[in-house]
Amino acid sequence: MNEKTVLIKDTTPGSTTGTKDFFDLFTSALRESRLSDEVRVVRAADIGVYNHGIVLKILPENITYARVQPHDIKRIIGVTLKHGNPIRDLEYRPSSRQLRLVLRNCGRIDPENIDDYISRNGYQALYKALQAGPEAVISELKTSGLRGRGGGGFPTGLKWSMTGKSPGDEKYMICNADEGDPGAYMDRSVLEGDPHAVIEGMLIAGFAIGASQGFFYIRAEYPLAIERIQKAIDDARAYGLVGERIFNSSFSMDLEIRLGAGAFVCGEETALLASIEGKRGTPSPRPPYPSVKGLWGKPTCINNVETLANVPPIILNGGAWFSRIGTESSKGTKVFALTGKIKNSGLIEVPMGTTLRDIVFEIGGGPASGKKFKAVQTGGPSGGVIPEHLLDTGVDYDNLQRLGSIMGSGGMIVMDEDDCMVDIAKFYLKFCVDESCGKCAPCRIGGYQMLHLLEGIAQGKGTLEDLNRLRMIAKAMQKASLCGLGQTAANPVLSTLRYFEDEYREHIVNRRCPSKKCTALLRFVIDRMRCKKCGLCARTCPEKAISGDKDRGYVIDATKCISCGMCFEACKFGAVERN
Amino acid sequence: MAVITWDDLTALQKRRQEQDTNWIKVGMSTCGIAAGADRVYRALEEELHKQGCEVQLRKCGCLGMCAAEPLVEVSIAGMPQVIYCRVDEATARDIVRGHVCGRKILQDYIIDMQSEEVS
Amino acid sequence: MIQATINGIPLEVAEGTTILDAARQVQVKIPTLCHHPDLPPTAACGICIVKVAGSNKMLRACCTPIEQGMKILTHDPEIVEVRRTVLELILSNHPNDCLKCGRNQSCELQNLTAAFGIREELFPKFISGIPKDDSTNAFVIEPDKCIHCGRCIEICQELQQVWALSFLGRGFASRFAPAAGMKLVESPCVECGQCSSHCPTGAIFELDETVKVWQKLQDPENYCVVQIAPSVRVAIGEAFGLPPGTNMTGKLYTVLRRLGFKAVFDTTFAADVTIMEEASEFVERFVHKKGALPLITTCCPSWVIYLEKQAPDMIEHFSSCKSPQQIMGLLAKTYYARAMQIDPSKIIMVSVMPCTSKKCELTRTEEMFASGYQDVDYALTTRELARMIKQTGKDFVNLPESEPDHILGDYTGAGVIFGSTGGVMEAALRTAHYFITGKNPETLEFEAIRGLPGVKELTLSLAGSTVRVAVAHGLGNVTSVLDRVREAKANGNPAPYDFIEVMACPGGCVGGGGQPYGVTNEIRTLRARGLYQDDRSRSIRFSHENPYVKKLYQEFLQKPLSSLAHELLHTHYVRRGQE
Repeated sequence: MNEKTVLIKDTTPGSTTGTKDFFDLFTSALRESRLSDEVRVVRAADIGVYNHGIVLKILPENITYARVQPHDIKRIIGVTLKHGNPIRDLEYRPSSRQLRLVLRNCGRIDPENIDDYISRNGYQALYKALQAGPEAVISELKTSGLRGRGGGGFPTGLKWSMTGKSPGDEKYMICNADEGDPGAYMDRSVLEGDPHAVIEGMLIAGFAIGASQGFFYIRAEYPLAIERIQKAIDDARAYGLVGERIFNSSFSMDLEIRLGAGAFVCGEETALLASIEGKRGTPSPRPPYPSVKGLWGKPTCINNVETLANVPPIILNGGAWFSRIGTESSKGTKVFALTGKIKNSGLIEVPMGTTLRDIVFEIGGGPASGKKFKAVQTGGPSGGVIPEHLLDTGVDYDNLQRLGSIMGSGGMIVMDEDDCMVDIAKFYLKFCVDESCGKCAPCRIGGYQMLHLLEGIAQGKGTLEDLNRLRMIAKAMQKASLCGLGQTAANPVLSTLRYFEDEYREHIVNRRCPSKKCTALLRFVIDRMRCKKCGLCARTCPEKAISGDKDRGYVIDATKCISCGMCFEACKFGAVERN
Repeated sequence: MAVITWDDLTALQKRRQEQDTNWIKVGMSTCGIAAGADRVYRALEEELHKQGCEVQLRKCGCLGMCAAEPLVEVSIAGMPQVIYCRVDEATARDIVRGHVCGRKILQDYIIDMQSEEVS
Repeated sequence: MIQATINGIPLEVAEGTTILDAARQVQVKIPTLCHHPDLPPTAACGICIVKVAGSNKMLRACCTPIEQGMKILTHDPEIVEVRRTVLELILSNHPNDCLKCGRNQSCELQNLTAAFGIREELFPKFISGIPKDDSTNAFVIEPDKCIHCGRCIEICQELQQVWALSFLGRGFASRFAPAAGMKLVESPCVECGQCSSHCPTGAIFELDETVKVWQKLQDPENYCVVQIAPSVRVAIGEAFGLPPGTNMTGKLYTVLRRLGFKAVFDTTFAADVTIMEEASEFVERFVHKKGALPLITTCCPSWVIYLEKQAPDMIEHFSSCKSPQQIMGLLAKTYYARAMQIDPSKIIMVSVMPCTSKKCELTRTEEMFASGYQDVDYALTTRELARMIKQTGKDFVNLPESEPDHILGDYTGAGVIFGSTGGVMEAALRTAHYFITGKNPETLEFEAIRGLPGVKELTLSLAGSTVRVAVAHGLGNVTSVLDRVREAKANGNPAPYDFIEVMACPGGCVGGGGQPYGVTNEIRTLRARGLYQDDRSRSIRFSHENPYVKKLYQEFLQKPLSSLAHELLHTHYVRRGQE
């Protein structure tokens, strides 16, 4: 019998000794069966399965058992370890699994070594594309159904086709790496972990549309990504894969990096073009679209990092293969940056159509530290929140839009009962107000006025009429803003109002924040029973609002208290109460 | 040297795949580095040198399990390929001594993902 | 031709027509705010939005081209509500200073607000609190009143290519300001005033000196005299409801006397004197080879400042002749004062100009004091004079016509066309022909150098020699002309032109920065036509035949370019600004 490895993890929430206990049971059972020399037993830190009791994974067969009981040990040893057969009723059947397509090479290859990329079929798609010709390449992209992953969701094949058809010899290809959504770092990881995939995608795209110059517009806040892409371009150039007559064909293309300068709005197509041209990064009206009149007036195609990373596998495996993954309207996979109040935070990649419930609970492991799930935010500052009762929605462009959110670039932030929806809306709106370029009145002034209203509500100064004003300004911003930033800045507000209006009303009518987040609405009181009279809170208070001594204990003067919460943080005995 | 033909490309691929044995990979994207992966890398480097092991030490990108960084993946002939999580400098040295030299997988540090891959 | 419908009314337009322009065809006026016919659409304000069937977006009419089969709706309750909210947002960022503002009754924001029937302030007011800038002594900049239409910046950067103004900062904090936030007087500003004549509100306003002039007029110690520029007469009627181009010369003389001026002169007389000097200068250089060719006219003070700041390498080409305004001031305080035996220290010379930079010309160099006093004390814009006339309740439109003080008031047709682009050149050529050949030319009107194209060229034969002239208007058009001269110098070739006329304002002085608001190319053409008609109606159409000019030289200056003429009527130029 070949050597086997058994990984063990007790995934019961709150369990501290479960793994070790089961490990001991299993190892002694193995000793009894005299298999100790052939089977390695390892306690795992994390086995990728959550809330399923004792989980075992057997290598090299890759069989995973969940909800294993001590009495199952015998048959596991007998059936699986001795004979290599899986036990059906124990097998872990996830309703969803990650499918690493875009992230296929991330974590597998050395991003600074072009040979590593080549060892994983690197640049073979480019070769195939050059043989097939631009028309065939565009056709393959159209068949695939790939849609722009930056958030717009525009069909990539169609964009390439339109740019390709625009008259002119001088065309440009641009990779939009200005990833600006708070909490989103998918593009960063792809640029840092698999830069050649994006380069290969750029080259194929350039070939398809007839461009001979490509730009990576990378935000300056991503120095490692800039470094790795530059090295990758240099290495590819040294191999003749970037530059003149690639693969001895008539196709030549050079690539260059242009840096962003701290403006979220420059992720918007026309503002990005202005930025590269050295002008103020503000959007321009469309039409004309960049595919007709873009960089320096020439036809330009702008694609997101993740979109381009999908291109080589589509060329290698065919558009039809890609279109079999995902849903009717949204093909392929999506990378999400799953963060917030979640156990397993990080980047995940799932086929389109995977339910939010599976993403949050199955793959993400659910909220950390046992708090109650409240909502998941998708689409960054242009998106909205999805409450618990809608979690069975499959993730795709159309579904999320129907629910009042958007796919966006892939940021997904999990929120629990400690997150206040008014505060969340305020956070995202403040981001948009900070990042607004200021060119058009609806966004510049509308965002500012909406933020003022939300700040009032969070401070307990709001009125119910404010909710109507918020909706009125939101409508004006949606309809009259010049670009997507302004058009979608109100989404988080509208979405939280749609599903959590009661929280807004609590803030307004009862001047209470149910999640205890909005500090201006919190009253801090010292519990005399718990107070150990140490005086630490009084020393911490910036307003000298706490008085007392070591005999009588301490008391907060509510008239001086500014609800900053520092005493609450400081008290080691939990004697400061937040209401 | 330039890669001009299909044959150049596939020959390079083959050569590289043949070199793909006995390695340690450290996740060195921003998430990993922020968690201390560069110190882990150095510790591994020193310990491998000290123990005289013939193992390739490489960097790799983000595996996706960012909350569990620093991540170290180990592939030694005859042993299963595993990923260690939340590795610090001391654990790094244990990996070299225990796993690489001693051929024993360390307890309580393994992380496994449930995912499919497309090559 | 493209067919579409607007509000159900079918129409047919040429390809590329915007919805805004097409709507005029069916007598629909879509409200706009930031739009100006002189400039490409900035699409900033969001007021001109309309609905297009098949889309749930609202599109901007100013920049969206009509497409085949489009069904456009310009007004419905939803559209009007969104426009109204946008306007209310703009007003929430604008001070309620109407009653104290110079644009009261001529402000585009005021007009739009009245049209929308705004009766309440829905949103709290947020005023930026940015301090005023009156450093140039020609304008007062009040950034708080700016509505971010972007017109001034577009004009200053793209049309005039001066780049004195830009947007600084981002979002709600963005503001229009001189480049890099310096004071306007430190910037490349040439005070042409195109910004102020295009500004929809009171954010950029000419420095109002009417109060000072009133004070001078009311002091019996003062002997106040006035001169009016050619362009004023064909534009001031617009401020009183008359069509552009209406010649108000006679009524201007009357109203100015009734305002209290003791003598009413006409700058056009001085224009004739300028021609005597400048045509002589041209003959010196062209025939006698004394001095570099081409000769460049310098009546326009913005053009002079531009030359000194941006093209000091061309100084040797500048005509040393002062502008008509300055010549008139000088003559009033010397020749006139002597002839009438008036103490020149008591003379207050006020000029009425279509121009804002004339206010700065008054103290350009010490030569502006050649009479021993400040030659011209105040330069008022056409707009300021219109306000003064209205303040005195005179029924300007119905006044009888009268004569000026002939000694410095009679003029020829050649002088009056100074106000239109090409006019100075035409006048100079008429007299140059006489100076060179001793005969008047057959052709008085040179169509080739009239009209609105940015650069106009003419080659003519004069006494057996070929004269090549160029006429440019709008500072954005001068670089190409100057570069041709520079290139010829660099290659040792003969100069491409012998004589160049430049007017900083598009259309020439008729389109000056101090003229009545609402200028368009149509209005520029109508105003110019008024001047050409004045020229044709005159019996004397050559500057050298002006009997009062002849008298001036006989009795005082002796001859053109005499040492006295040089001392009094000529000036010099220096490099200004940073290297």
